[in-house]
Amino acid sequence: MLAAPRKQTQAEGAKLPPATGRQFRDVRATSTLSRGAAKGLAITYLSLIVLIPLAALVTNAFNKGLGSFWRAVTQTESIDALRLTLLCAFVASAINAMAGLATAWVLVRDRFAGQAIINALIDLPFALPTVVAGVTFYTLYGPLSPFHVNITGTWIGVTVAIMFVTLPFTVRSVQPVLESLTFNAESAAATLGASPARIFRTITLPALMPALLIGTGLAFARAIGEYGSVVFISNNLPYRSEVASSYIYSLAVSDQTNSAASVAVALLIIALILLIFFNVTAQRLAKKRT
Amino acid sequence: MTRSRLILRCVVLFYIAALIGVPLIFVFQQAFLHGFGAFFSALRDPAMDHSILLTALVAVVAVPLNVLFGVGASLWIVRHPSRFTRVLDTVIDVPLAISPIIVGLVLELVYAQGGWFGAALAKLGWQVMFSFPGIVMASIFVSLPLVSRQVIPLLREIGDHQEQTASTLGAGPVRIFFSITLRSITWAAAYGVSLTLARVIGEYGAVLIVSGNIALVTQTLTLNIGANFDNFNNYQGFVGAVLLALSSIVLLLILGVARHRERRRNEYLA
Repeated sequence: MLAAPRKQTQAEGAKLPPATGRQFRDVRATSTLSRGAAKGLAITYLSLIVLIPLAALVTNAFNKGLGSFWRAVTQTESIDALRLTLLCAFVASAINAMAGLATAWVLVRDRFAGQAIINALIDLPFALPTVVAGVTFYTLYGPLSPFHVNITGTWIGVTVAIMFVTLPFTVRSVQPVLESLTFNAESAAATLGASPARIFRTITLPALMPALLIGTGLAFARAIGEYGSVVFISNNLPYRSEVASSYIYSLAVSDQTNSAASVAVALLIIALILLIFFNVTAQRLAKKRT
Repeated sequence: MTRSRLILRCVVLFYIAALIGVPLIFVFQQAFLHGFGAFFSALRDPAMDHSILLTALVAVVAVPLNVLFGVGASLWIVRHPSRFTRVLDTVIDVPLAISPIIVGLVLELVYAQGGWFGAALAKLGWQVMFSFPGIVMASIFVSLPLVSRQVIPLLREIGDHQEQTASTLGAGPVRIFFSITLRSITWAAAYGVSLTLARVIGEYGAVLIVSGNIALVTQTLTLNIGANFDNFNNYQGFVGAVLLALSSIVLLLILGVARHRERRRNEYLA
C-alpha cells in the first residue's frame, strides 16, 4: 500500500520544481542544487581516480593495433606467467572451497572452547597487509626456514601464499547461509534413515552451493591479481615462478608501457569472465532450487 | 557421528593454525628475536619512522575522502535510483577485481610524465606521480568500494519510512541525514571505515608503482618493510611488520565489535 504513492512522488520529484503545491517537504525534492553539486563531485572523483585511468589502460593496450596487443599477450614469458597465475589461483581456490566449507560448518554447527578466537582469526588475511604475509611466508618456507622447507621459486610457494590471502572469502560467504539454514529438511531425512553423509550431499550442500560458488569466484578474482603476498616467496623467476602481476610490474618499470597495458587488459578480461561465470552459475543454481 | 565431528573439528583447527596462526606468531617471534631492547632501538630507525609518518598522513587524507564518497554514493544509489545509478552501482565495485599492480599502472598512464595529463600537470608545476598525491590516489582507488558495499545493502533493507516520517514532521534534509540516516548506518559504516583503513595502511603493489619507493621521501611503511627484505635487513623488516600486524589486530577487534552491533540491531528488528 505504501509503495505506490512513493513511486509517484519520485517521478514527480524528477520533473517538478522543488516543494511546489506540496503539503509537506519531500526529502527528495529539496535542495536540488546542492544535491546536483554533490553528484557532480562524486562523478568527478570516480572519473579522475578510476574511470579515466582505466580508459587510458585500454587505449594504451590497443593504440599500436590489435596485432601488437596480441603479440604482447602471447609472448612466451607472458603466457607462462598467465598460466602459472591461473594454475595457482585454481588450486588455491579449490582447496579453500573445501577448507572454507569445512571451516564454516565447524564454526556454525560445532561448539567448543575458543571458537570465538578462531572466528576472529578468519578475518586476519583481510586485515593483515599483503607484504607482511609475503615476508612471513618467505621466512617460514624460504632458505632460512625453521622447518627446513624451501618452497621459494615454485608454484607451491605461490599457491600457499594465495591460500592464506583467499581463505576468508569462502568461509565468510558460506557462514551466514549455513546460520540461516533450518534443520527441518535435515532432520526429516534423518528420520527417513538417510546417513549423515547422504544428508550432507543431498540437502545441506545444495543449499550452500550458490554462496560457496560466489565466495570461490571472489577468491579466484583476488588470487589472479595478487602481488604483495606472492612476490617474495615466488622469487619472480621468468618462465618458472613469475605470476602475471609481477610480470606486468617488470614491464611497467622497464618502460614497456604498451606491453604492460596489454597483459593487464588480458588479465582483467580473464578475471571478468571468471567472475561472471561464477555469478551466473550461482544464480542458476539458486533459481533451480526455488 | 561424534567421531567424524571431532575429526572435522581437528582438521579445521589444524588448517587455521597452520595457515594463519603460525605465521602470525612467527612475525612476533622474529620481531622480538633479539629482545625488547633491540626491538625498541630498531623502532628509532629514521627511514622506518618517516615511512610510518607518511602512511599515517596518506590514511588521514584518503580514508575521510573515501568515507564521504562511499556514504554519498550509497545514498544516491539507493534513494535516487535511475538507469545511471544502476551503472554506478556496478562501476563502484570494479576496483576490487583489479590487481593492485594494474591500479598503479593505470594511474601512471594518466598522471606520469608521458601520460595523458602528465604534460599539463607538469606545466602547472604539480607533481602527482612519485609523490604524495599519487600515493593518496592509489590508496583511494584500491579501497573505493569498501564503505558503499557495507552501507548500500543496509540502506536498501531499512527503507525510507523513517525519513519520510521525519520529513512530514518538518525536518530538513540535513537534520534527517544526521538524526536518522546516519544513525541507522553508523555500525555498517564503521565496519566499512575499518576495512578502508586496513586496506589503505596495508596497500603495497599499487603504491610501489606510483610512489617511486624513495626512502625518507615517498616510502610508506609497507614499502619500507619490502625494501628492508630486499636489502637483507630482515630483522628491521619484521619490526615494521609487527607494527602493521598489531594495527591489523586492533582493526579486527573494531570489526568484531561493529559486526556484533550490526547483528544485535538485526535481532532487534526481527
